This record gives sequence, C-alpha cells and structure tokens, in this order.
Amino acid sequence: MAVSELVHPEGAIRSPARAVPDLRKWLAALVVAVLAVLPMLSGSFLLYSLSLCFANAIAVLSVSVLVRYGGEVSIGHSFFVALGAYTVAVMEKHLGLGLWISLPVALLMGFAAGLLFAVPSRRMSGIYLAVASMALALSLPELLIHMERWTGGFEGLYISRDLLPGVAKAGQRYYFALAALILVCLAMAHFRGSRQGMALLLARAHPRAAEAFGITRSWARISVFALSATLASLSGAVVAFASSTVSPNSFTLWSGIFYLVGSVVSLQGTSLLAALVGGGIITLVPQYLAGAGDYVPILYGSALLIVTLLANSGSGLRRLLPGKGA
Amino acid sequence: MAIIHAEAAPETRGALVASGINLSFGGIDVLKGVDLDLRPGLVTGLIGPNGAGKTSLFNCLTGLYHPNRGRIALGDTALDVLSPARRAGLGMVRSFQHMALSPDLTLLENVMTGLTLSRRSGWGSAFLPMPRGRAETQDARRRAMAALDELGIAGAADLAPPELPPGTQRLGEIARALVGGPKVLLLDEPAAGLNAVETRDLTRALRRVMHPALIMVVVEHDMDLIMQLCDQIYVLNFGKVIACGSPEAVQADPEVLRVYLGAGDE
Repeated sequence: MAVSELVHPEGAIRSPARAVPDLRKWLAALVVAVLAVLPMLSGSFLLYSLSLCFANAIAVLSVSVLVRYGGEVSIGHSFFVALGAYTVAVMEKHLGLGLWISLPVALLMGFAAGLLFAVPSRRMSGIYLAVASMALALSLPELLIHMERWTGGFEGLYISRDLLPGVAKAGQRYYFALAALILVCLAMAHFRGSRQGMALLLARAHPRAAEAFGITRSWARISVFALSATLASLSGAVVAFASSTVSPNSFTLWSGIFYLVGSVVSLQGTSLLAALVGGGIITLVPQYLAGAGDYVPILYGSALLIVTLLANSGSGLRRLLPGKGA
Repeated sequence: MAIIHAEAAPETRGALVASGINLSFGGIDVLKGVDLDLRPGLVTGLIGPNGAGKTSLFNCLTGLYHPNRGRIALGDTALDVLSPARRAGLGMVRSFQHMALSPDLTLLENVMTGLTLSRRSGWGSAFLPMPRGRAETQDARRRAMAALDELGIAGAADLAPPELPPGTQRLGEIARALVGGPKVLLLDEPAAGLNAVETRDLTRALRRVMHPALIMVVVEHDMDLIMQLCDQIYVLNFGKVIACGSPEAVQADPEVLRVYLGAGDE
C-alpha cells in the first residue's frame, strides 16, 4: 500500500471536488519520514513522549471509528485500553510471556470484550450508550484494585521484557508504537473501501435503507463496537510497552473523556495526520503545558477550544484532516 | 366496488401475492382485506388519495410492518415473519420516499452497497489487500458502474450524493436496488421532489430496466408517471382496493373518478 493511503482510503472514488490534494499526500509522507529519523536527532524524553502520543493516537482513532462508522459516542473506552495494557502486563508478570505473544492475546481480549458489551447494548444509542460506556470506565479502577493479586493493585505492574533483545529500549518503544499506528491507519484506509466499511457507513446514515439491502442494525452495531474495542485494546498494549508500566491511575474515566476529546479535535478522521493531531492534543499538549502550574487547565482548555473552533470553521485544518468521507 | 381484472400476466410463477391483508394501529384499521397479485414482467402502480393506505401496504410488502391478518408470499415462500433483511436475501429490494444514500460514499460506492449480500469477502480482506477481496471489489465496482450506465448516470459515479441533483440521486437509488439483479423492485414515490424533466427521464429509465423476470411496484402520486409506466394499477381508498386493472380501465372507473375528482358527490 502506498503512503497516500494514510490520508485517503484505498478504493474511495475521488471526485474532483473531494480529490485528495497532493499537499496532503506529501504532508503524510513528510511526517512519516521525519518521524522515522527523529530518534537519531532527539533526546529520550521526546521519544518517550512521542511513543505515548502514538499509542494514544490509536486510542483516539478507536473512538473515531465508533463515531464515524457507528454514529455513536463512547466515554468509556479507557476500559478497553486498560484491558489491552493489563493483558500485556499480566502475561509478562505471571506467565513470563513477551509482547510477541501477549499482543495478539490483547487484541482477542479487546475483541471479546467489545462483543460482550455490544451484544446486550446493541439497541441503545446516543446518550444512553454513552452513559453505559461510562459505567465501564467508572468500574474499572475499583476492579483493578480489587484484583490486586493479578494487577498489582494501586502500584500496578511493570513491563520490562524487550521486544527485540539487544536493541535500545527507547528505540524499541518508539518504533514499535510508530509502526503500530501506521499499520492501523493503513488497515483503516483499506477498510473504508471494503464491503464491510461501506455497509457500516450506509447503516449509520440510513439504517432502514441498509436493512433493505441485508445490512441489519445488530450486525452493524456489534461489528463496529468490536472493531473499535479491538483497536482500543491494541492501543493499551502499545501504551503498556511504551511506558513500561500500567496502573489504575492511567485508565480513569477522564482518560476515556480525553480519547473522545482527541477524536473531536481530529474531526473523527482515521488518517495518520488526524490520529496524530488527536494523540498529540491529549498527550503532548498537557506535558508541554505542565510548566504552567495552576494555569494548566486554563491553557489546555483554551487550546482545545481554539483547535475545535478552527476544525469546525471550514478552515484549512478541516481540509488537511479529512473527517467525513475520508 | 368495481374490480376490473387485469389482462392475463405473462408469467404467474414467482409472483408476489398478498391476500386478505389487514393492518391496524391502535384500533384504527389502516388496511382492510387487501389482495394483490403482482406478477413478473409487469409494472404495478399503487395509487390513492393521502391516507388511503398505500405506504402502509408498501411497508407490509417490504417487511417494515407485519399485518395483523393475511398472507404475503413470493412464489412458494411465505414472507409473513421475515425481516426486511431476510426479504432482501430473497431478492426483494426497495427505494425510499426520502433519499437514502450515504453522504459519506460516492454514488458508485452507494450502488456497490446493493451488492452487500452477494459479496463473500471476509473481515481479513476488509483490512488487508488480499487478492480475493481485491477481485471481488473490482467486480462489484464493474457491476455498479454498469447499473449506473444503464440508467444514464455513469458520469456522476465519482460524486458524493450531496453534490448531485435530486433526479440523479433518485436514479442512483434505483441503480443500487437493481445492481444485485432483484426479483422484486419496490419504489416508494420515486418522483417525489423531481421536476417534470427529471420525472420524464425517470420514467424512461424505469421502462428501460424492466425485464420479464422482474416484478416492479410503484407507489406514486404523479399520475403521468403512473399512467405511462404501469401495466396494471391498484387503487386504494380508506384501506381497501377500490379498483384494479390497466391504466385505461382504471382511468375510466367511476369509483376512481369519484375518489379523485369528486364526481357525483354534488
């Protein structure tokens, strides 16, 4: 697949009015090139921050998938992110297994949890589904603390195994997170032009019309939620590896709300650029504003407001971060 | 009630037959013992004043409503308890009174969604460029383009619905319904929102796509379209069929004239 697919789905028919500007293709290629050589030029703290940014970008993208393909909102995706993260940590701590094995297991766990949540809630929508997802996130920290023997309780667990023994840890974290993000974006670009992707977009816009062509609402809801939860779980696995630690404090209700905020400011786009904007807003902005002390919430809120207003004003940002239809 | 029997249809096998359809909402009878015999090769119009029960009958045929009494069958298959999705699997497709194309898909992609049931590529092909998935997508694209071409709107394939005039969107919906080779095509007010030129083009296009194996049913208020397009017409009033027959026979029916023109009321 070409780099251009990171900004526009394969198979999408390009109309003159909707044609992807060459600028966007080149921008994505440039961003990938810069990110690929960055470890040779920068310090370990920036690499660590960017690793977390890439991981969070996948979490943001998982929420965007739910919004774009399902027309629904979740504020409890931190549950699925935590599931992936703790799967990796618990398998290393208690079974001595590394990421090569725990990562596929984390994906399966996310998929299964998404199904378990989607089946009973498939007839819920809008604010009711959002509140139901909030219940997941609210219960999570208590659950993790209660299962202290497995999860390490308040302190959490550490992940120390290397993915590639002998390679510098910072580099491993960074490139693994970057590769995961790029692969997810490529997969989602391909998904947009697939039978399933187009069916979900029709079901979101016109459920009755979709049903008349054999696309049932239950199938659509369960499929999109399972997909979204799987991506969120992948994000959690990457977070665990990139940060080398998992604890209940990392997966609160606020985390779920921030994933949704990231999705909103990235216009629910599933391209690499959109995901990076979402991941950056919820990871890098708070970190780099940290020096502002008590003013952090005000500055962060202002930054969010500005980005959201720009994104919805028909500005150049909207053209660069394709939302609908891309 | 004057029932004027239609001329013998060219094909009786595989007919869509509704018998004794009764439907009520909250004690109000919407349909009262409606019988329909819709045969392959014929275009059937369902007409009547507002509130006559046309859309309710249409929704019973498509599975959105389930009648309180009566039977609906396509050939030998009883449809009574089947969902719209299951009926789609039997080759029954419909268009909607309000445009129901996804704004996030191009016109061509919208038409490709009409092939969802016949496509078999799995979830692996949805995320990875597998040869089988690519071949199937190319085939679906070719068939969708052929459907658009048949209706004369292939030039708009790459445009999104919001960029298209209502007439082209309507034809796009019909292309989506036709692309899978349906047995039954149900059109709910296809001329709604179209101007005279678009309605004329639509009528011609529908005539062009009609074939001996297809059952086409049209609910419509535009009498010009109905008279030019349909081989037989059912006229409903207050939930009952008051006339059935060829366009000429229905136009001359005194009961129909009374309902539509108020003749004899004074």
